[in-house]
Amino acid sequence: MSTTAAPVPGASREQLDRLEEHWGERPSLRAWLTTVDHKKIGRRYLVTAGLFFALAGLSALAMRTQLARPEAGLLSPQEYNQLFTMHGTAMIFLFATPMLFGFGNFLVPLLIGARDMAFPKLNALGYWIFLFAGLFMWASLPFGAAPNAGWFAYVPLTGQQQTPGLHMDVYSLGLLFLGIATAAGSINFIVTALKLRAPGMSLNRVPLFVWAIVATGFMVIFALPALNLDNAMLFLDRRFGTHFFDPEAGGNVLLWQHLFWIFGHPDVYIIVMPALGIVSAVLPAFTRRGVVGYVLVVFAIVAISIISFGVWVHHMFATGLPRLSYSFFSAASTIITIPSGIQIFAWLATMLLGRLVVRVPLLFVIGFIVTFVLGGFTGTMFALTVFDQQVTDSYFVVAHFHYVLVGGAVFPILAAVYYWLPKITGRMYHEGLGRWAFWLVFAGMHVTFFPMHLYGLFGMPRRVYTYPSEPGWDAWNLVSTVGSYLLAVGLLLVLAGVVHAIRRGRPAPPDPWGGDTLEWSTDSPPKPYNFAVLPQVHSLHPTWDESSRESMGAGAEADRVLADGRRTLLTSELDGRRERVVEMPASSWQPLLLALAMLLFFTAMLFAWYPVAAVAAVAVAGTVATWLWPPRRPERELGVSA
Amino acid sequence: MSAHPGPRARLAGGLLFWYAVLGGAVAWAVHLLAGWGVDELTCASGSDHIGGVPLRAAVGAAVALPALATVGALLAAVLLWRRTHLPSEGEDRSVGRGRLLAVVGVWSNLLFLTIIVLGGVALLVLPPCQR
Amino acid sequence: MSGGVRAATGTAALTTELPVGRSTGWWGMVMFVVTEATLFACLLGSYFYLRFQFGAQWPPPGIAPPTLLKPLVMTAVLLPSSLPVIWAEHGIRRGQRWRLRTGLAATFLLGATFLALQANEYAEKLREFTLTTNAYGSLFYVITGFHGLHVLVGLTMIGWLLAASLRGGSFGAHRHDRVRNAAIYWHFVDLVWVAILFTIYLSPRL
Repeated sequence: MSTTAAPVPGASREQLDRLEEHWGERPSLRAWLTTVDHKKIGRRYLVTAGLFFALAGLSALAMRTQLARPEAGLLSPQEYNQLFTMHGTAMIFLFATPMLFGFGNFLVPLLIGARDMAFPKLNALGYWIFLFAGLFMWASLPFGAAPNAGWFAYVPLTGQQQTPGLHMDVYSLGLLFLGIATAAGSINFIVTALKLRAPGMSLNRVPLFVWAIVATGFMVIFALPALNLDNAMLFLDRRFGTHFFDPEAGGNVLLWQHLFWIFGHPDVYIIVMPALGIVSAVLPAFTRRGVVGYVLVVFAIVAISIISFGVWVHHMFATGLPRLSYSFFSAASTIITIPSGIQIFAWLATMLLGRLVVRVPLLFVIGFIVTFVLGGFTGTMFALTVFDQQVTDSYFVVAHFHYVLVGGAVFPILAAVYYWLPKITGRMYHEGLGRWAFWLVFAGMHVTFFPMHLYGLFGMPRRVYTYPSEPGWDAWNLVSTVGSYLLAVGLLLVLAGVVHAIRRGRPAPPDPWGGDTLEWSTDSPPKPYNFAVLPQVHSLHPTWDESSRESMGAGAEADRVLADGRRTLLTSELDGRRERVVEMPASSWQPLLLALAMLLFFTAMLFAWYPVAAVAAVAVAGTVATWLWPPRRPERELGVSA
Repeated sequence: MSAHPGPRARLAGGLLFWYAVLGGAVAWAVHLLAGWGVDELTCASGSDHIGGVPLRAAVGAAVALPALATVGALLAAVLLWRRTHLPSEGEDRSVGRGRLLAVVGVWSNLLFLTIIVLGGVALLVLPPCQR
Repeated sequence: MSGGVRAATGTAALTTELPVGRSTGWWGMVMFVVTEATLFACLLGSYFYLRFQFGAQWPPPGIAPPTLLKPLVMTAVLLPSSLPVIWAEHGIRRGQRWRLRTGLAATFLLGATFLALQANEYAEKLREFTLTTNAYGSLFYVITGFHGLHVLVGLTMIGWLLAASLRGGSFGAHRHDRVRNAAIYWHFVDLVWVAILFTIYLSPRL
């Protein structure tokens, strides 16, 4: 448990040079556009998701300004509808998940002791698609053509008749486009965690963050198809006159809701699960011990990710289905609280039994626990059907899910920003600035959203662009608006802290916190090849364990250096036994070209230029075909007999 | 206990391992889809029999069979837990990994059994098509 | 027998690593197929959802229940098309390139025949109802069309493998991951057809 300085490299000078030659990239525009390095891609994910967070946040500020007083005229109803829809859609799809995928991209190979993700080119493709899909959706806003029917887009309101124009086409096509990136990223996480773990890292030594992101990946591959299908049907209904959601011709509007919530409820966990993984990753460094009940937390992660698929109907308890079939879902909805509770108690016990080191990341973790538990508390109130029917579609609901999502995702993300900033940038942040940012964000969050419980109970409906002056509404709305500006200032301070660290921060040592996982046993920022010697893992806390650290230094073996080419190790799925050495792909234009072809396809579909779309589809197929085309190898190497 | 089980024993053991870890989860998924699907679709078509079988019996089967499968998985998980209750022989990671997933299996099978049983209780109380 | 049970429930057998030794490409393809299979499950689930909400007569009045002859012929063409791929894959594992080429070509032909039959089926159905007639028409064309698109993608993969194997220097006993991954996809496309046959063509007759 020491915070030693630079690790003693177990590789020779000459090996390091060769690693640098195979993995390093000289900065140039070409290198920037073609890189497949998971650290650069991860950083891009973080920055881009941060940009979309800022845009969605500014939308919220505009709305709060409009709502500061009754009967205000800053925004028209049309503008307001687009802003609240883009705010929700972007926060869920373009900020929360990609931000957490960004941390996953940067960290997973470092946490498991690998040199890159399993599919580096696919990883680059995922980033470009995410960027283009995000721009595709945001670009509609200046033209007044942004989605405008709420983030869950219920039919029939979103049908062609009720919402003409491109609005909902942007929504359905944008999310379909983005879905490719999310699915590709998830598969990449799963395969990376299964096959690229350092030798010795059997499943019982996998860091909790990796468990969480793999569980998220599995949830995505099972949940996302429902959303994709839903959006495809919506687009077909709107554009080509199919009747999936049209009761006049045998369709059914509830089909949209079922499919949406089959995706939507797991999606709550898709957002929160990696954030909870962050909490489990941050706590050991600031409590000076491992998370209490590692096995139970793993169990909780696995159980939550499975049960989350069996609760969707609880979003639809008001739609008139047989009571008996409700009861199956109620049972699951009730029981899922048990594994969620286990995690909370595991963290509380860790803090109780450990020695607290109060730094900014820990402050955000504590802020997370307080806020998230409050959000969970109002969540259980909805389980009382009579109460639920009173507050449905009121600001009480808005308050609830902002407590859950700001508490459950934004606070852990901010903890992660401060915790891994030294690793990502190689610079330390300013502690005082960070504390100011924490207190402003924490206070701003509660001042903004707590009053929403009150005026929700006083009857104010959500999604209204303005409201008449009512007792209890005016003053509390003003409080919320003041709070939102406070929150914005706090977030601005976070940004200032990051910029300050990059510009002026003092250089970070490899392990500033005395963390327990492998990323702290390599340089800050890590070299392009991550580890000069791939580690041999002997415990759950490799950086705290002498023999695991030795394996990268004095105990290095030649067959874990792999300096002859871009190489990393494949190990076995469950027990992390060494299997073979594999060659990793080098940088390539293909990911960018493929993403551009897809962007062309979706743009052409949006504007109904079908011949262009057909050309784009051929371009996509052609790029994929060249991407996977096997290199020519000598017959002897292939092993050909006839 | 033979030190080197043959390939067939290894395959059987490996499959039993996954049944112990995930059996309850799969059984619950089957229970949920079958119970919900049968109940909702039969009621929607305005009948309370499917192919001569009373709906209550059909839904009852969709509760009882998965519950039995989960009990089986629970027993398998307990077996796995006892078999991995060894003093760790130095670097044998398989046993440590088996131990971890045995505990996960025991708890998750208990959890899924509870969910299935709670659904079964509702079957005793509610007529199948009451809205 | 009891010795077998004892061996299978011993510590060593229970902690056998399973699955083990798969390549990253194999896992990637399996995960991709899993997510695609979920998509088809949602699609077919939507069919049953709309059907049972619709009422007694299905297909809706004005549309005759689907005839079985042609879809059964299509099944008879598509299902066996998995066999040559398997045969080809086993061949290339032993380094026999001729088996790879012949098997892929056979599968390609069967798959192309399937698509031609489907086009013929569409030509007939389109006279009766279209995508926009009602929800049944939407479901019929979107489900079968989406599957047809998958057959087309699978065919492209098979044709691509065939082209690469004809070029030479692509596959051999030590390099056949791509063949295996494309084969997994092709088997998946075949199996989905069975589910579609049951849903669209057989279930209205039950």
